[in-house]
Amino acid sequence: MEGEKESVRMRVFRAGSCQQLFYRYQDLAPQLVPLDYTSCPDVKVPYELIGSMPELKDNPFRQRIAQVFSEDGDGHMTLDNFLDMFSVMSEMAPRDLKAYYAFKIYDFNNDDYICAWDLEQTVTKLTRGELSAEEVSLICEKVLDEADGDHDGRLSLEDFQNMILRAPDFLRFTDSVKFPPFFHL
Amino acid sequence: MKPPKASQHFRSIRRNANQHYFYQESLLLSNLEDSFTADETGDSHDPEQIFQNIQFQKDLMANIRCRPWTMGQKLRALRRAKDIVLKFEGRLTRTRGYQAAGAELWRKFARLACNFVVIFIPWEMRIKRIESHFGSGVASYFIFLRWLFGINIVLMIMTGAFIVLPELIAGQPFGSTASKTIPKEHIASAQDLDTVWSLGGYLQYSVLFYGYYGRERRIGRAGYRLPLAYFLVGMAVFAYSFIILLKKMAKNSRTSLASASSENYTFCWRVFCAWDYLIGNPEAAESKTAAIVNSIREAILEEQEKKKSKNLAVTICLRVVANILVLVSLAGSIYLIYFVVDRSQKLAQSKKELTLWEKNEVSVVVSLVTMLAPSAFDLIAALEMYHPRTTLRFQLARVLVLYLGNLYSLIIALLDKVNSMSIEEATPQNSTSHWLDSTFATRAAPGEERWSTLGPGIGLRRNSTWALEEANIPTYISPLSGANKTTVSTRSPQDQCWETYVGQEMLKLSIIDMLFTVASILLIDFFRGLFVRYLSDYWCWDLEGKFPEYGEFKIAENVLHLVYNQGMIWMGAFFSPCLPAFNVLKLIGLMYLRSWAVLTCNAPHQQVFRASRSNNFYLAMLLFMLFLCMLPTIFAIVRYKPSLNCGPFSGQEKIYDIVSETIEKDFPAWFGSVIGYISSPVVILPAVLLLFMLIYYLQSIARSLKLSNHQLRMQIQNARSEDRKKVAQMVEARIQTQDETTKRFPKDSDLGSQLSSAHSATPQNNGTVVNFDSSSSRSSRVETVAQPTTPSPQLGPGSPSSPLPGFSRSRHCSTRYPRGPCMNTSDLHRSKSCTPGMFTKHIEDVHSEPLFRKDFQPINHGSGVSALVPHSPRSHAPRYYLINERDSQQKKHSTFWPERHFKIDTSGDTADMYPRNMRRCAPLASPQLSEEEEEVPRRQVSRRAFHPRSLTDLHGMHHFYVDESSGSQALTPELQRPTHYTSWNDGFGGQLDRPMYMHKKARSQNFQYPQHPLKPRAKAKFEPSITESDFMSAASSRDQQNSGTNQYFQVTHSQPKCPRSAGQFARRKAISRQELTAGLNDLICSNV
Repeated sequence: MEGEKESVRMRVFRAGSCQQLFYRYQDLAPQLVPLDYTSCPDVKVPYELIGSMPELKDNPFRQRIAQVFSEDGDGHMTLDNFLDMFSVMSEMAPRDLKAYYAFKIYDFNNDDYICAWDLEQTVTKLTRGELSAEEVSLICEKVLDEADGDHDGRLSLEDFQNMILRAPDFLRFTDSVKFPPFFHL
Repeated sequence: MKPPKASQHFRSIRRNANQHYFYQESLLLSNLEDSFTADETGDSHDPEQIFQNIQFQKDLMANIRCRPWTMGQKLRALRRAKDIVLKFEGRLTRTRGYQAAGAELWRKFARLACNFVVIFIPWEMRIKRIESHFGSGVASYFIFLRWLFGINIVLMIMTGAFIVLPELIAGQPFGSTASKTIPKEHIASAQDLDTVWSLGGYLQYSVLFYGYYGRERRIGRAGYRLPLAYFLVGMAVFAYSFIILLKKMAKNSRTSLASASSENYTFCWRVFCAWDYLIGNPEAAESKTAAIVNSIREAILEEQEKKKSKNLAVTICLRVVANILVLVSLAGSIYLIYFVVDRSQKLAQSKKELTLWEKNEVSVVVSLVTMLAPSAFDLIAALEMYHPRTTLRFQLARVLVLYLGNLYSLIIALLDKVNSMSIEEATPQNSTSHWLDSTFATRAAPGEERWSTLGPGIGLRRNSTWALEEANIPTYISPLSGANKTTVSTRSPQDQCWETYVGQEMLKLSIIDMLFTVASILLIDFFRGLFVRYLSDYWCWDLEGKFPEYGEFKIAENVLHLVYNQGMIWMGAFFSPCLPAFNVLKLIGLMYLRSWAVLTCNAPHQQVFRASRSNNFYLAMLLFMLFLCMLPTIFAIVRYKPSLNCGPFSGQEKIYDIVSETIEKDFPAWFGSVIGYISSPVVILPAVLLLFMLIYYLQSIARSLKLSNHQLRMQIQNARSEDRKKVAQMVEARIQTQDETTKRFPKDSDLGSQLSSAHSATPQNNGTVVNFDSSSSRSSRVETVAQPTTPSPQLGPGSPSSPLPGFSRSRHCSTRYPRGPCMNTSDLHRSKSCTPGMFTKHIEDVHSEPLFRKDFQPINHGSGVSALVPHSPRSHAPRYYLINERDSQQKKHSTFWPERHFKIDTSGDTADMYPRNMRRCAPLASPQLSEEEEEVPRRQVSRRAFHPRSLTDLHGMHHFYVDESSGSQALTPELQRPTHYTSWNDGFGGQLDRPMYMHKKARSQNFQYPQHPLKPRAKAKFEPSITESDFMSAASSRDQQNSGTNQYFQVTHSQPKCPRSAGQFARRKAISRQELTAGLNDLICSNV
């Protein structure tokens, strides 16, 4: 029951107005972030605080998300990065954009391709290491097999979009057990 | 005329360009400022242009969210666009914004409502939790249960609202008529537990059963036609069930068809789309993880099932055998049941007093059969080697057939009973004698049931209860045969109500079934779980692992139980209008109890397989059951005369007469005649014919649609594969053009390849690039080795440089082409790379690189020999052994080679060697070596990292090398010398081929251009080696390669653990690239 309420709350939560988000941002680190933001451009909230937000704290990819949206890839976020993250993760963001950022999130080594190593990381994080090495490698192989359009042994952004935009409609909630919505923070 | 046209043309072009640009832009990260270049100059006075500009800016504003810019960029762009729009556009049109906002708000609201509705889907969370832990197979049971629950709710509403409530409200109260009062002689015992248990007494004379309903045509002030309603609702129950079942099945097949077409990204979606980003509490996250693991395992299982190598003949034989076995056992068990039923009937007719065994023979046999046969089927199913899902279906179908045996005995028993009762009513004066017997028998029934069902096994309560009907029947029949003349008391005629009797039996069955379900859950699952959990520490063997274990959720049996139970409801609903209501309660209880038991006491299945969430197979069984259960009811309604003294239809000849009666009396005359015509054969026969024609027509249409569907799917697949090919071609073309440009701009491609090599890591292709594990390829390579060995001595140390290139090319090709068997695209690239003009080679280099980067770990290999062994997760991935010989001990080699050889044999597939300094292997290593030696470190320092291209080339060479040694297995160390020598020369040749290639590449390094001054320096440095013997110069060039390799490894090896970021790596690469260039230039020099 508790979980249900919680998840409903999360669904209701959306990017909202920038003001709300600013307060959330400020709440994360009240001692760091001043309320008056007119003259204070260079403040970063450390990853530890970002990652402990209720929206992210149970997400296996929270570190990647923070890294992707932070400016220099270390997970520490300025207010702009923070707003960026929420605007992309909000349900209103178009799927193309989500696919783009999803690609970045899954691209662990930032080389603009999802290679087998990235896939391994993804699967390991997703399943919390419950699958054996053979299973993981089989999965990576299959994924590459399925989505790798140009057979270069890695997924480019085009491959990824091609694949993910064809996924069953994530916006529908009714029968979403198998393929739950991709991003709607 | 001309200028406007031209400008228009220009505009349209620009508009298109804008649009195009916009779409392109929507995803590509590009400079924000670019998007303003076209229309930024809003100062233009052309109104058309201004309008376009405004449109563009509006588009930008509307879609700013779509662009992967950072917030700062977005804000800037937005501000700018707003300014422009404000400047050029009146404020009036902005009201449109409110409309948009309203639409947005509505969308939000709809979504919220949608989310809200999800909460009210009963047991959704519960089922999801079960699904996440036990897989979709178990969940499908609960979903089926929930769906049945829904159906029963509707049935309950139908019967409750149209039959039970009117009777309660407007009908005559209890005790007012004979059919609504308990007979006097029974009042005393009406509240006994025994009576209540057998649903007699007050329960018998209540709205629960058919007999209570009054026969008045109209009741209450409104004149509600209860008997008509009773009949119509009874029929509507069936009609509704049929319609809803068929609708659901149609919907399921639609969705399954729709989803089947998009199944080709199974793994991708399961990996990339699996996580629910809304999950916000740890528990949900945990179960989600479990669900993902399950779903991935399911997919893997499917994959393995697909891949399973099938020996067709054996499988078919086994399946045939299995099916024969199943058929035999089915036929046997059904015959057994038939035999026993028959025998007991005969026994009952011939004998007055039956022994306990004779009474319960049928039930015992039936429950034994139904207990043993499914496990036998299970064993047989193991023979068949089907996919687990198919196995489940077969199991279900077989068990269902078995249960039909029970159904048969039940139906026969009931019909017999009904038959006897209705015959009896035809001769009421004779019938006074045996009622006591029959009631006695009914009352005795529970006891028997308890005995019989508890005796043989708890799990099979349903069968045994039916069987016991069977056991009871003879006792009813026997008095009828006239043998029994002991009239103890005369019964009032209202007892003679076969409809009530059937209803009672059905309700009783349902109740007993429920009790036994609860008992079996508690015993089989719960207490067993407790026992296993808490006593396993003190037991002689491992309780959890071996014998009792934890219970598994048996999907097949449980689903059948549900189907069965529903069948009872359908069968009895006409005679006991409250049965659906009772079933609703039962299903609710079952849902909670089952889900609790599953979550607490059951262990997940060993094999998780995917059952579609809405399983048509269950529905098909249910449909079958509905049909079967409808038959006896309809038969009874049509065949038998309703009881004279009870129920809404008493006094009529047939139950359905109520309809014709109503039509006659309450409708105008013409309506009656119309109905009469319609129901005459004149209309019905053509109607039936028409229906047949329609069915045939629709079916043929469906067939053709299926065909076209199939063809379309094929087309789509073709198109998709074409697409893929095109993409691949485009990539190739891009690479080629790159290469062409790199010819003009040297170094550029090298940079490109360098970067791409930094980016890629695909063990899959790695496998094929350096893979030669297939025996055929190996042998072919050994053959090719034989070819160069003969010329090599001629090449000798004397004249290496001039003849070698040609020879080396031949070697190159000969070693490459034979790879045919294990060729894939990268291999194609590879073979292309033999032709001098093509430079697609770096693709494979790209592939080969990362393994080295991350997988090597140092291993101490004897004294002074350190090997780098890759820890590749894949078994088939090639293995590389890099052997570094620190000391220049000549003797090492003789001992060393066999060792390598051994390794190759054991590892089975691939082993590559990288002798660090080849010249040490060479017997020709002369005192000049020392001079060379001095030089090497310097070069090594200057050419730190080696780039992957030459690395793969080295692979090729070393395949060659190693294979030769493996081909000549019997070689003694002395004999190995020549081999050694030749391979050395081959390597040498390859080496010489390499520089040509490299030379071109090196020239094409645009990026390195500033570094070019290195060249002369390197040249100068290399001078001395040229002065040495030609061979030695070649050797040194060889050496450079090798040392370079080693250096490369050392570099990467030095930081094996830190997950280097690409940037870092690229930087490192860039540096090494510079150094490498120098090395390459050296090579060029040395060859010249």
